[in-house]
Amino acid sequence: MTEDNNLMMDVEYGIDSRYKSGLESVSEATILMEARLRRMKMLSKDQITKAKLLQLKLKMEEFINHPIYDNHNHFSNFLKFYIDSIYSKRSTFAKDINVDPVSLSQVINNHREPKDEFILKLMIHSEKAYKDVCSFNKKIWYQIYFNNKICEIMAKQEQWQPEIEKQVRISEVTKF
Amino acid sequence: MKVIDTLTGKKHLVDILPVDMADFKILTKDRYFFDWNLEKKQEVHKLLIKGSKDILGLVSIERIPQEWRIHIRLLTVSKENKGSEKKYDRIVGCFIAFIAKMAIREFGELACVSLKSKSEIAQHYMDKYAMRLTGMTLSIEVPEIIDLINFYDND
Repeated sequence: MTEDNNLMMDVEYGIDSRYKSGLESVSEATILMEARLRRMKMLSKDQITKAKLLQLKLKMEEFINHPIYDNHNHFSNFLKFYIDSIYSKRSTFAKDINVDPVSLSQVINNHREPKDEFILKLMIHSEKAYKDVCSFNKKIWYQIYFNNKICEIMAKQEQWQPEIEKQVRISEVTKF
Repeated sequence: MKVIDTLTGKKHLVDILPVDMADFKILTKDRYFFDWNLEKKQEVHKLLIKGSKDILGLVSIERIPQEWRIHIRLLTVSKENKGSEKKYDRIVGCFIAFIAKMAIREFGELACVSLKSKSEIAQHYMDKYAMRLTGMTLSIEVPEIIDLINFYDND
């Protein structure tokens, strides 16, 4: 091993990256932000789209792994984010997956449940869209959809359980 | 994400999890190089091989949402993973990619991961992780941050 390689192996053991003072931190943050803003202006539309698609994938994975039901984690919100990351007009997406723009709008606005065919088309579309971005498990759309269902049902348990319970009995109980 | 056993070349999936208060008792300076008790009030994560309880590395971070940035405060591997005799490779890369994923998830195309580095090691981070140096601060942003995530995440 060369001396250079030894140095490389050693530099990775630890980094103390804490700023010595608030002043140093603010000063570094200011020059970093100026440089970043200059670089951000140079980003292409493609690079921004890729970052947004990766962001969406990571958000969806987070919801699958740690399901917390709120408005942000609704299937329709993920769908909206997906379409708006790629298209300037939602109607163009509707055309690309051969669905009626009105139906699409109803799904996005939670006025209609997505049909199986819609989700299947979305899976195929996203598989193509993510091809050059990152690995993407297309079944995640179904996982999100069903996770939403579970979260919604369990969040409303107090409302539906009393009435449903009246209709359910066990006439034969197996004794173990 | 995976680390590589330098002896056998075998890859091992890792978990990166928040450090529990109880963990601090075993985070000695002798094995983890820094006084990690000073980071108790910070967000600290540990890296372990899936199914193992042995902590192979640690990182503490500061989220700076107003700047769409996550700053690495302190990062280390355990003693046996330092230098040319290290047991596992890619611990630091896994940590940086983990934080990069956090930053992208939170801030999208504006995401940035930063760290302050001494000049003698800055070049290493620029070469290995495609970081840029501004003043004393190294940072990685879009588009390089996406390549870094894909490299460590898809292996």
